[in-house]
Amino acid sequence: MAAGFLLIHAKPGRAWSVALSWFLFLAGIGAYLWVAQARHRENPEDRVTPTVAQMAKGMYNAVMQPAEEDEQAAVEGGFLTRLSRSMLWKDTRATSRRFLYALVLLIPAVILGLHMGLFPYVGEFFLRFVLFFDKIVALSLLPILFIAFGIDELSKIMLIVIGVTPTIILDSFNLTRGVPAEQVVKAFTLGAGDFDVAYRVVLKQIAPRVLNSIRLNLKAVMLFLFAGEMIASQDGLAYRIALLRRHMGMDVIIPYVLWVALLLFLVDLAMRTVNRKLHPWFTEA
Amino acid sequence: MLWRFATLLFLAASAFAQKPSFTVGWSVYAGWTPYHYMNKSGILRKWADKYGIAIKVQRFDYAPSLDAFVAKNIDACTMTNMEALDMPAASGVPTTAILVGDYSNGNDALLVRGGLQLKDLAGKKMLLVEKTVSEYLFDRAMTINGLRDQIKRVRMINTSDSDIATAFIGDTSASAVVTWKPMVSQIAKQKGVTSLFNSSQIPGEILDLTVVRTDVLARPDGAGQKFAKALTGAWYEMLAQMKDDKVLAGIAEGSQDTVASYKEQLSTTKMFYSPKEAADFGASADLKAKMALVRQFCFEHGLLGANTKAVDDVAIRYPDGTVQGKSDRVRLVFDVSYMQLAAQGKL
Repeated sequence: MAAGFLLIHAKPGRAWSVALSWFLFLAGIGAYLWVAQARHRENPEDRVTPTVAQMAKGMYNAVMQPAEEDEQAAVEGGFLTRLSRSMLWKDTRATSRRFLYALVLLIPAVILGLHMGLFPYVGEFFLRFVLFFDKIVALSLLPILFIAFGIDELSKIMLIVIGVTPTIILDSFNLTRGVPAEQVVKAFTLGAGDFDVAYRVVLKQIAPRVLNSIRLNLKAVMLFLFAGEMIASQDGLAYRIALLRRHMGMDVIIPYVLWVALLLFLVDLAMRTVNRKLHPWFTEA
Repeated sequence: MLWRFATLLFLAASAFAQKPSFTVGWSVYAGWTPYHYMNKSGILRKWADKYGIAIKVQRFDYAPSLDAFVAKNIDACTMTNMEALDMPAASGVPTTAILVGDYSNGNDALLVRGGLQLKDLAGKKMLLVEKTVSEYLFDRAMTINGLRDQIKRVRMINTSDSDIATAFIGDTSASAVVTWKPMVSQIAKQKGVTSLFNSSQIPGEILDLTVVRTDVLARPDGAGQKFAKALTGAWYEMLAQMKDDKVLAGIAEGSQDTVASYKEQLSTTKMFYSPKEAADFGASADLKAKMALVRQFCFEHGLLGANTKAVDDVAIRYPDGTVQGKSDRVRLVFDVSYMQLAAQGKL
């Protein structure tokens, strides 16, 4: 390692880049284990920092046992039947369903943003209101949401929609505005109609950036979804976390949090891959 | 001059440092809000000075106050008998209840829409904060009415207490709700809502306590004992003043409430105003019978933790020395000695 290894033109070797990129993970795990062990030495019944064995056991039960509120009779059967009736699967399914609905509802937001950017009358009609609506803290509207949409699925999905769509609308709007006007003119001179321009020229171009912007908002979607599930629900990953928190079931909460992180990472990865496959010409970001 | 000032500062600092300091956490509830006034009016400071210690008072939301107590960030905390058992005691933080403040005498209630009866609730939607005294109340209501086998068939929806009133009022598809005051009062005002069961039908089962960590009480320098005595002294001096409307207004202010609303909440709270009453209740056989129900409920619902294999693993010791559970695993202690000292005027 020569002097200047901290400078811009340094080129870390393979071993170095592997070691450096995993260092913080190891440090985090090490620090946790150290604290957990110290706490357990002082108080063997500590529940704030479960040991790895406790977490493994908690997670095993979550994967293999049905949820407490379900019939306990379901523990027979092969691995797959047990898995399909398990607490973790039940919660993941409920949360994923809401998550997907919310993602589907973001598509109209993109279309609206596109139209606002291209059609002046649509823009005039919506822009000011969306700009205002974007600044509303969705969570503070909860009581209204409950009254308008009940406490079932709809209010949770609407919470996400209200929280995230304005951002997506404005983003698509700005991206649409970013498309050079010459291209629109050119398309018209080549005989395109209004909707050809909108969907075949502009939308095609902004699509990869819009997908990226949705991808970056996944965490906001998840945040609103968790808030909704913690406030009122009978299943879902955040419901379980809220319930377990009431008696400090950290042995299940910590694996659940990691599981959510993994799921989000996979969705993110999938969207990046799809984006690359659909728009191979797009290289930025 | 500068030297003198520096010395003075040093002396003040060291005096401050030598004084053992303790923190009490409380959360908004009719029986606990007096802590706000006790701190503000100087009653607590007077008693702390008498015992040569410093006592800080900190307001929390309920769940974080429990977390802070379990994490040993605070020395004393207000909580119900159920949470004392399933949070600190079951997490291996031995806990001693030194003050029995009151019991819920109608503060918690099960309300329904459209004139339903308990037997009609199977298959209906019910909002409540699961795994708390609300679920306990519901469990008891069904058990007392011989409907125990139907409990599982009610569709419980875990709902945060901060939104439960609007959620129930707004969503007419929810048939029942279990919650506590002041939300109960708001919901009961709605048309067509009736109360099916409330905590006055299970008197003394939902107790509101002030608990101290047992290791704080056992501090070798004896400061923990002083802390418990100062707290008890201040508490009963506080309660003795609660007939005065001005004092009640000062207390209500602690939860941004009006005197009228606070009085209404007190009407369904059985406060133990005199230390003798409280100590007698704490030493009664009745308390044991009630705690037996509570700990069985906690165990059945897994609230004592996944590692607790038997209900006896989290044992409770009572003032007469009897132990519920394994005697080598006492985690919760009811200690009436401080209340008795207060009753005898010996604090």
